[in-house]
Amino acid sequence: MMHAMRTTTRLTAAARLALTLGLSLPATLLAQGADQEDVWFRGGPEAARHALIITGAAASDDIRARFSQWSNSLHDVLARDYGYSADTITLLLDDGTTAGANPRVDGSSRREDIESAVNRLQQTLQAADQLTVFMIGHGSSTDAAAKFNIVGPDITGAEFATLLAAFRQQDLVVINTTSGSFEFSAALAAPGRVILSATRTRAERYDPMFARYLIEALDARAGDRDKNGRVSVLEAWTFASQSVQGWYSEQGRLPTERSVIDDNGDGNFSLEPSASAGDGSLAEIAYFDNHSAGPQKSSPEARTLLAEMQELERAVFLLRGQKANYLEEDYWTRMETLLIDLARKTGRYNELP
Amino acid sequence: MNSPERSALRFALRPLSLCLLLQASLLAQPASAQEPIVQMPPALERAQELLQSGSYLAAIELFQRVDSVDEEAGLLGLSKALALTGEYERAIETLEDAISDYAASARLATQLAELKRATGQSSEALQILDEIVTGNTTPPVRALVQYGSLLQYNGRRDEARVQLEAAIGRYDAGMVFDAEEIAMVAQASWLLDRFHDANSLFSEAVRLDPQNLEAQVLWGDLFMEKFNVVDAEQSYNAALEINRRYTPALVGQAKISGGERSLAFALDVNPNDVAALETMATLLVMNDRAEEAVEYVERALEVNPESLKSLSILAAQAALHERFDEYAELEARVNAFSPGNARFYGDLADAFGNAYRFTEAVGFARQAVAADPNYWQGHTLLGTNLIRLGEEEEGRVALELAFDNDPFNVMTSNMLKVFDTLEEYATLRTEHFEVRMSQRDARVLWPYMAPLLEESWTTLTAKYGFEPEAPVLVEVFERTDDFAVRSVGLPDIGPLVGICFGKVVTLISPQTLDANWQEILWHELVHVFTLQMTNNRMPRWLSEGISVWEEREARPEWGRRHGMELVRAAQQNKLLPVGNLNAGFTGADSNEDLGFAYFQSYLVVDYIAQEHGFDKLIELVKQYALIKEESAMFETVFAMSIDDFDAGFRAWVDRRVQEINVYVHTEDAADEGEAHGHGQRENSSAVMAELYNNASLKQHMRQRVQDQPRDFQAHLQLGIVLFKEEAFDEAKVHLQTAHDILPDYSGYPSPSLVLSQIFEREGNQPARLEQLRIMLQNQQHDDDSTVLMATAALESGDLEGARYYMDRAVAITPYRLDVHRIGAEIARRQNDPQMAVRELEVLVDLDVNDPVEARTDLAEAYLANGQAPEARRNILNALEIAPSYQRAQQVLLQAVDATQ
Repeated sequence: MMHAMRTTTRLTAAARLALTLGLSLPATLLAQGADQEDVWFRGGPEAARHALIITGAAASDDIRARFSQWSNSLHDVLARDYGYSADTITLLLDDGTTAGANPRVDGSSRREDIESAVNRLQQTLQAADQLTVFMIGHGSSTDAAAKFNIVGPDITGAEFATLLAAFRQQDLVVINTTSGSFEFSAALAAPGRVILSATRTRAERYDPMFARYLIEALDARAGDRDKNGRVSVLEAWTFASQSVQGWYSEQGRLPTERSVIDDNGDGNFSLEPSASAGDGSLAEIAYFDNHSAGPQKSSPEARTLLAEMQELERAVFLLRGQKANYLEEDYWTRMETLLIDLARKTGRYNELP
Repeated sequence: MNSPERSALRFALRPLSLCLLLQASLLAQPASAQEPIVQMPPALERAQELLQSGSYLAAIELFQRVDSVDEEAGLLGLSKALALTGEYERAIETLEDAISDYAASARLATQLAELKRATGQSSEALQILDEIVTGNTTPPVRALVQYGSLLQYNGRRDEARVQLEAAIGRYDAGMVFDAEEIAMVAQASWLLDRFHDANSLFSEAVRLDPQNLEAQVLWGDLFMEKFNVVDAEQSYNAALEINRRYTPALVGQAKISGGERSLAFALDVNPNDVAALETMATLLVMNDRAEEAVEYVERALEVNPESLKSLSILAAQAALHERFDEYAELEARVNAFSPGNARFYGDLADAFGNAYRFTEAVGFARQAVAADPNYWQGHTLLGTNLIRLGEEEEGRVALELAFDNDPFNVMTSNMLKVFDTLEEYATLRTEHFEVRMSQRDARVLWPYMAPLLEESWTTLTAKYGFEPEAPVLVEVFERTDDFAVRSVGLPDIGPLVGICFGKVVTLISPQTLDANWQEILWHELVHVFTLQMTNNRMPRWLSEGISVWEEREARPEWGRRHGMELVRAAQQNKLLPVGNLNAGFTGADSNEDLGFAYFQSYLVVDYIAQEHGFDKLIELVKQYALIKEESAMFETVFAMSIDDFDAGFRAWVDRRVQEINVYVHTEDAADEGEAHGHGQRENSSAVMAELYNNASLKQHMRQRVQDQPRDFQAHLQLGIVLFKEEAFDEAKVHLQTAHDILPDYSGYPSPSLVLSQIFEREGNQPARLEQLRIMLQNQQHDDDSTVLMATAALESGDLEGARYYMDRAVAITPYRLDVHRIGAEIARRQNDPQMAVRELEVLVDLDVNDPVEARTDLAEAYLANGQAPEARRNILNALEIAPSYQRAQQVLLQAVDATQ
């Protein structure tokens, strides 16, 4: 398997998307913003995807049951809908006592088990492979340190960042769903990483609902907002974040959690990430699964049409990214022209052998 | 003097104070019994301590013993103490006896002038102050301020300004040192509308001497004038902590709490306290006890025939009852001592506003600001009442003028903040209504509100033979505070959820409401008719009674079913005479009392409609447009005295109680309702049985049903306990019995609800649904059950039933995603593209997690409904997010074809 080495070329969000879709980019576009940032999350179908789920110690039996249920569901959803297998999912659950009875569980959330799992993954993962770390449980944050409450001595954000430093050649997503998760997550921020935190301040210390809705977003690809059959990290975050706010609203309670994203490595997390904002462009192209190409059409016209469709799709993304620079009417006229063309070509493409 | 210095001094004086106490007690001994061993302490200090702490009679005794060295201070203290106990004449005599030259005895003479003013002798007071000020090169600051204040009251504003500026100039020159004088300078600033300076100076005065009661209370009064009750209360409490018998602070506290206790105490201390008497009168007027109020006003006028407040209360009563000669006489009386007093007209505007007579209120507010364009509260009153008439533009101008000149007035700034909120709101219209609501409500709520508004118009105009002035303005607020401020100017409005001002209706959005918004809207719209039919002269009881009665007329599941409460009220003889039904509202001590006031008013209306006919009800309403006694109105309409009418009503209630035939145990509490009678009523005893069922409760309830077979509550609770124990068969018997006793019971939990839960546990879905159907005939607030019924109806192909329950759910909450999904599905199956569009438009707003699907569905519905341009716009929104979504691409191409 060939794995691309990291380059030092920065691409616009649209260009990254185009790469993800397997589209060719004009040289002028590639030249925009060169030498500013590495290219991440562009692994093709050959890149492997691994998940590390760490579920920490629970404060009570009720909470333990909830954490356990979330962890198992997440494991199952990843395996069922995203092409993961027992080999590519590592679940470290609480004190690991259910390891025998629950075939999903690979160990405990003790520090030594975490370190051992990370070492194992470091040995396994190739450059450009993707590792997604899910953290479920309680967290805490003081002036001294931000911690993830695991079995045994807690692990701090700085310590966890040291562990993850090994994955320089891989695409890394960390989804920290714990209470008081913000400062722990901030310690993990680095260029090329997508970091999600269920909370945005130290004060948000109550157990968040974020994990529940993140799993709902993944389950049956409910979070697939753009209907491309895949769920990006940004889409999952959007689904979960909106659902969490809806839950608090329905309960008539003031929200005690606001989830945030950092994916430009500056540690300044965004409440409203988008591909055109400071954070969001990597999360938009970071998918939980691999892109699988559909059945290939045999006719030459089909191949030509496919290329044109891909070009049109790319043009839509580019236009969307420039929305603020157009008068509204002009924007929609241009958008409609592209979309009508794309729809007609898609229709024709579907008819071809 | 800085604080540490003051603390040190207070510490040093403490032993001396103890010493004074001891000596004072010696003073109380008969002189012949014991000669003083040591030198007598100065009686003055002890007397002042007693005055400060509220021992006025003891202080009076001691002040009289003050020796000649301290004569002036003793006389001042004595006259103050006498005044604080209401002995104004004695206080005046004491001072007059001591003064031979007003200018030479400036401090005593100032005090005398203040007492003269307080007893309605303002001309003499003015003369005294004039002599003090002209006869001294540096008259006391207090004299300057009192003179300025009185000149202003007299309408001599320019002359007043000179005196007040002089007092302020003395402070600016660094010649004012003590707290009392600084408080006077603060008052001068206040009188000149320099509210910020006044606040700072009062703050300085109480910092300098926290024991200065006058400064504390004046500061509180400034806050009260600005409707800043929190800070006002703090000031009054600070004064009362020092002297709990200080009547000006007690009066201030009563103005905040609206309670009579502080006032009764104040009048115990000083039966002639004019402010206490006037405040009591104001409270009584607000509680519809105007006759009693007049007695207090007359007492106040005996003490001070020039009391502006007292005369304005009387004038308001005269004007409200159209006794125009009497009003003119009172106005002339005020003009004699305070010509063109803007506050007089402001008080009248306020009184008319409180009586819902907004047109007249605006008239008086205009008179007030014409009399004194700098009377900023007058502009606020003008703005507030214009808004209640729907004249928002002019109202806002008046409020902005008031705010620009008096930004400390909390009511003004609150009202303007609501305008800021309204600027973000959408304005929507139907033929007869103009509606403001949040953008979200405009998308989600409006599609269901618009037809209901016009339905109410059609129904009620036909029924009452009256067409109100249109458009009626309806404002729906998302924030309760905005609703409260828009309605009454201040954020605390209690349990109210909707208010009608005649031409304007304010409501709380269903987003922040746990009640049936449609019922509330209908209720308020009925008020539009009854208020406008009577030029807003409708008494509250009848207006509420008709609105509640019309709820049930509009939809069978709406309205109030208080059978148990009626039986309980009859048992406890709580029913009020028909002639005194308003007392049920004004005298309500709890939400329960208020809820019953609504219910009894409804019963009277129901009685009229059933026993005398609906036409008689309309005749009665029309009577209230006339100025006449209520008893005469009943005489005209029913050809009987109001007492005979009341007797007929009571006989009808007795029959109704017998028909209900339920046993109400004294140990059971009444159901508790929310949202001012429009919310779900909770049966707390039954809820407790659900949560904490146990053997003793079961045994007790078994005994109760054995003793009284028609004990509804016992059957219900027993049924719940047995259900929890899974003794389903026995539970069903008791729950069915409870239902048979009170089939229209609408509280939570009801027998039908618990029965449905039993059938659910037994897996008997048809029986479960049947019980929910029965429950929903009377229970209008259970949205989960309505959604469940709608879903079940949809599954069984009963589209009519599904639509009925879907509409019921929308009436409780239009924000549930599943409700509109059901709606969209009904529309699809019924091939109703218009309904589909309505439901899918709402879904687009609510379904934040799948906007592409929602927009694609909506675009398809638009196409089916012949709205191709809308389809095209929406599908572009979907494809912008998901350009390769093929279903959406197909819809786009269809939309393009349809628009070409």
